[in-house]
Amino acid sequence: MKVRFEPIAGKTAQIIEALMASDDMPLNDELRFKLRLCIEEAVENVVDYAYEGGNGFVEVGTYIKGNELFITLEDSGKPFNPLDKDDPDITLSAEDRPIGGLGIFLCKQLMDEMAYAYENGRNKLTMKKNIN
Amino acid sequence: MDVIITQEADKTMVVLNGRLDTTNADRFQQDIAPLMNMDKPDIEFDCTDMEYTSSQGLRLFLMLQKNVNARQGKMIMKNMKPQVKEIFDITGFSNIITII
Repeated sequence: MKVRFEPIAGKTAQIIEALMASDDMPLNDELRFKLRLCIEEAVENVVDYAYEGGNGFVEVGTYIKGNELFITLEDSGKPFNPLDKDDPDITLSAEDRPIGGLGIFLCKQLMDEMAYAYENGRNKLTMKKNIN
Repeated sequence: MDVIITQEADKTMVVLNGRLDTTNADRFQQDIAPLMNMDKPDIEFDCTDMEYTSSQGLRLFLMLQKNVNARQGKMIMKNMKPQVKEIFDITGFSNIITII
Protein backbone atom coordinates (compact mmCIF):
# COMPACT_ATOMS: atom_id res chain seq x y z
CA MET A 1 0.00 0.00 0.00
CA LYS A 2 1.02 3.59 -0.45
CA VAL A 3 -0.71 6.67 0.97
CA ARG A 4 0.16 10.34 0.60
CA PHE A 5 -0.57 12.93 3.26
CA GLU A 6 -0.40 16.63 2.56
CA PRO A 7 -0.24 18.73 4.63
CA ILE A 8 1.12 16.63 7.46
CA ALA A 9 0.96 18.98 10.45
CA GLY A 10 -1.35 17.51 13.09
CA LYS A 11 -1.82 14.31 11.09
CA THR A 12 0.64 12.11 12.98
CA ALA A 13 -2.09 9.88 14.41
CA GLN A 14 -3.81 9.48 11.03
CA ILE A 15 -0.56 8.56 9.30
CA ILE A 16 0.23 5.94 11.96
CA GLU A 17 -3.27 4.44 11.74
CA ALA A 18 -3.11 4.30 7.93
CA LEU A 19 0.09 2.24 8.12
CA MET A 20 -1.21 0.01 10.90
CA ALA A 21 -4.34 -0.69 8.82
CA SER A 22 -2.27 -1.97 5.88
CA ASP A 23 -3.01 -5.56 4.84
CA ASP A 24 0.74 -6.18 4.98
CA MET A 25 0.81 -5.75 8.76
CA PRO A 26 1.12 -8.94 10.80
CA LEU A 27 -1.63 -9.90 13.26
CA ASN A 28 0.68 -10.88 16.11
CA ASP A 29 0.14 -8.42 18.98
CA GLU A 30 3.76 -8.31 20.11
CA LEU A 31 4.99 -7.56 16.61
CA ARG A 32 2.28 -4.97 16.06
CA PHE A 33 3.29 -3.23 19.29
CA LYS A 34 6.88 -2.90 18.09
CA LEU A 35 5.91 -1.89 14.56
CA ARG A 36 3.51 0.77 15.85
CA LEU A 37 6.23 2.21 18.02
CA CYS A 38 8.73 2.34 15.15
CA ILE A 39 6.13 3.86 12.83
CA GLU A 40 5.26 6.51 15.39
CA GLU A 41 8.90 7.42 15.94
CA ALA A 42 9.65 7.56 12.21
CA VAL A 43 6.56 9.65 11.40
CA GLU A 44 7.29 11.98 14.29
CA ASN A 45 10.81 12.37 12.98
CA VAL A 46 9.55 13.51 9.58
CA VAL A 47 7.00 15.87 11.11
CA ASP A 48 9.63 17.36 13.43
CA TYR A 49 12.61 17.66 11.11
CA ALA A 50 11.83 17.37 7.42
CA TYR A 51 9.89 20.59 7.13
CA GLU A 52 11.14 22.28 10.32
CA GLY A 53 7.61 22.35 11.69
CA GLY A 54 6.26 23.76 8.43
CA ASN A 55 4.13 21.83 6.06
CA GLY A 56 4.82 19.43 3.25
CA PHE A 57 3.87 15.94 2.24
CA VAL A 58 4.79 12.48 3.34
CA GLU A 59 4.21 9.32 1.38
CA VAL A 60 4.08 6.21 3.52
CA GLY A 61 3.91 2.65 2.29
CA THR A 62 4.29 -0.99 3.14
CA TYR A 63 5.22 -4.06 1.16
CA ILE A 64 6.23 -7.65 1.79
CA LYS A 65 9.19 -9.50 0.30
CA GLY A 66 9.46 -13.09 1.42
CA ASN A 67 9.25 -13.08 5.21
CA GLU A 68 10.08 -9.42 5.48
CA LEU A 69 7.86 -6.41 5.96
CA PHE A 70 9.13 -3.11 4.58
CA ILE A 71 7.78 0.23 5.78
CA THR A 72 8.72 3.27 3.73
CA LEU A 73 8.46 7.00 4.36
CA GLU A 74 9.26 9.65 1.76
CA ASP A 75 9.19 13.43 2.07
CA SER A 76 10.55 16.36 0.12
CA GLY A 77 11.86 18.28 3.12
CA LYS A 78 15.48 19.31 3.58
CA PRO A 79 17.93 16.40 3.41
CA PHE A 80 18.08 14.83 6.83
CA ASN A 81 19.55 11.44 7.65
CA PRO A 82 18.20 10.39 11.04
CA LEU A 83 20.55 7.39 11.08
CA ASP A 84 23.59 9.69 11.18
CA LYS A 85 22.93 10.59 14.76
CA ASP A 86 25.04 8.89 17.43
CA ASP A 87 23.21 6.39 19.61
CA PRO A 88 22.51 7.63 23.14
CA ASP A 89 24.77 6.40 25.94
CA ILE A 90 22.31 4.20 27.81
CA THR A 91 24.69 3.61 30.71
CA LEU A 92 24.53 7.20 32.00
CA SER A 93 22.83 8.12 35.28
CA ALA A 94 19.49 9.94 35.28
CA GLU A 95 21.31 13.20 36.06
CA ASP A 96 23.61 12.85 33.05
CA ARG A 97 21.10 11.50 30.53
CA PRO A 98 19.97 14.17 28.08
CA ILE A 99 16.21 14.51 27.54
CA GLY A 100 15.09 13.10 24.19
CA GLY A 101 16.96 11.56 21.29
CA LEU A 102 15.46 8.11 21.79
CA GLY A 103 13.00 7.80 18.89
CA ILE A 104 15.23 6.67 16.06
CA PHE A 105 17.37 4.69 18.51
CA LEU A 106 14.26 2.66 19.40
CA CYS A 107 13.60 2.02 15.70
CA LYS A 108 17.18 0.83 15.23
CA GLN A 109 16.82 -1.55 18.16
CA LEU A 110 13.39 -2.92 17.28
CA MET A 111 13.61 -3.22 13.51
CA ASP A 112 15.96 -5.63 11.74
CA GLU A 113 17.29 -2.97 9.39
CA MET A 114 16.94 0.76 8.78
CA ALA A 115 18.06 2.43 5.56
CA TYR A 116 18.13 6.06 4.44
CA ALA A 117 18.67 7.59 1.02
CA TYR A 118 18.24 11.06 -0.47
CA GLU A 119 17.06 10.61 -4.04
CA ASN A 120 15.29 12.87 -6.53
CA GLY A 121 14.88 15.55 -3.89
CA ARG A 122 13.33 13.14 -1.42
CA ASN A 123 14.28 11.74 1.96
CA LYS A 124 13.58 8.02 1.84
CA LEU A 125 13.55 6.03 5.04
CA THR A 126 12.99 2.28 4.88
CA MET A 127 12.47 0.03 7.88
CA LYS A 128 12.64 -3.74 7.55
CA LYS A 129 11.31 -6.39 9.93
CA ASN A 130 11.16 -10.15 9.64
CA ILE A 131 7.55 -11.00 10.42
CA ASN A 132 7.66 -14.76 10.12
CA MET B 1 -3.68 8.01 28.82
CA ASP B 2 -5.76 8.42 31.95
CA VAL B 3 -3.86 9.55 35.02
CA ILE B 4 -5.30 9.28 38.51
CA ILE B 5 -3.22 10.81 41.29
CA THR B 6 -4.05 10.17 44.93
CA GLN B 7 -2.19 11.08 48.07
CA GLU B 8 -1.90 8.59 50.96
CA ALA B 9 -0.04 10.18 53.86
CA ASP B 10 3.41 11.01 52.39
CA LYS B 11 3.02 8.70 49.42
CA THR B 12 1.72 9.79 46.02
CA MET B 13 0.00 7.02 44.07
CA VAL B 14 -0.36 7.43 40.32
CA VAL B 15 -2.48 5.02 38.31
CA LEU B 16 -1.78 5.03 34.57
CA ASN B 17 -4.32 3.67 32.13
CA GLY B 18 -3.97 3.52 28.37
CA ARG B 19 -1.48 4.57 25.75
CA LEU B 20 1.08 7.32 26.08
CA ASP B 21 2.06 8.58 22.65
CA THR B 22 2.71 11.63 20.55
CA THR B 23 -0.97 12.58 20.52
CA ASN B 24 -1.35 12.87 24.29
CA ALA B 25 2.16 13.42 25.67
CA ASP B 26 1.51 17.15 26.17
CA ARG B 27 -1.56 16.44 28.25
CA PHE B 28 0.32 13.82 30.25
CA GLN B 29 3.02 16.40 30.96
CA GLN B 30 0.34 18.72 32.38
CA ASP B 31 -1.19 15.85 34.36
CA ILE B 32 2.09 15.03 36.10
CA ALA B 33 3.14 18.67 36.59
CA PRO B 34 2.02 18.60 40.27
CA LEU B 35 4.50 15.76 40.87
CA MET B 36 7.35 18.06 39.86
CA ASN B 37 6.67 20.45 42.66
CA MET B 38 6.87 18.34 45.79
CA ASP B 39 9.26 18.40 48.68
CA LYS B 40 10.89 14.94 49.03
CA PRO B 41 8.47 13.24 46.63
CA ASP B 42 7.56 9.59 47.21
CA ILE B 43 5.85 8.52 44.01
CA GLU B 44 4.52 5.11 43.07
CA PHE B 45 3.21 4.46 39.57
CA ASP B 46 0.80 1.59 39.04
CA CYS B 47 1.41 0.60 35.41
CA THR B 48 -0.96 -2.40 35.34
CA ASP B 49 -3.08 -0.82 32.61
CA MET B 50 -0.41 1.19 30.83
CA GLU B 51 -0.55 -0.24 27.32
CA TYR B 52 2.20 1.58 25.48
CA THR B 53 4.71 4.39 25.57
CA SER B 54 6.66 6.03 22.79
CA SER B 55 9.83 8.11 23.20
CA GLN B 56 7.56 11.07 23.94
CA GLY B 57 6.47 9.30 27.12
CA LEU B 58 9.97 8.16 28.01
CA ARG B 59 11.30 11.70 27.96
CA LEU B 60 8.66 12.75 30.50
CA PHE B 61 9.48 9.85 32.85
CA LEU B 62 13.15 10.87 32.63
CA MET B 63 12.30 14.50 33.40
CA LEU B 64 10.32 13.35 36.41
CA GLN B 65 13.09 11.03 37.64
CA LYS B 66 15.63 13.87 37.36
CA ASN B 67 13.30 16.08 39.36
CA VAL B 68 12.73 13.40 42.01
CA ASN B 69 16.48 12.83 42.38
CA ALA B 70 17.15 16.55 42.69
CA ARG B 71 14.57 16.72 45.49
CA GLN B 72 15.98 13.68 47.30
CA GLY B 73 12.77 11.79 46.75
CA LYS B 74 11.96 8.38 45.43
CA MET B 75 9.93 7.00 42.59
CA ILE B 76 8.97 3.48 41.60
CA MET B 77 6.99 2.01 38.74
CA LYS B 78 5.25 -1.28 39.35
CA ASN B 79 3.27 -3.92 37.46
CA MET B 80 4.61 -2.88 34.08
CA LYS B 81 3.53 -5.07 31.16
CA PRO B 82 6.42 -7.01 29.59
CA GLN B 83 6.18 -5.23 26.21
CA VAL B 84 6.31 -1.82 27.92
CA LYS B 85 9.13 -2.94 30.21
CA GLU B 86 11.12 -3.94 27.14
CA ILE B 87 11.07 -0.33 25.94
CA PHE B 88 12.47 0.79 29.30
CA ASP B 89 15.12 -1.96 29.09
CA ILE B 90 16.25 -1.18 25.54
CA THR B 91 16.74 2.50 26.33
CA GLY B 92 18.58 1.87 29.60
CA PHE B 93 15.73 3.48 31.55
CA SER B 94 15.41 0.33 33.68
CA ASN B 95 18.78 1.28 35.19
CA ILE B 96 17.76 4.80 36.17
CA ILE B 97 14.11 4.25 37.12
CA THR B 98 13.16 1.70 39.77
CA ILE B 99 10.81 -0.79 38.14
CA ILE B 100 9.42 -3.57 40.34
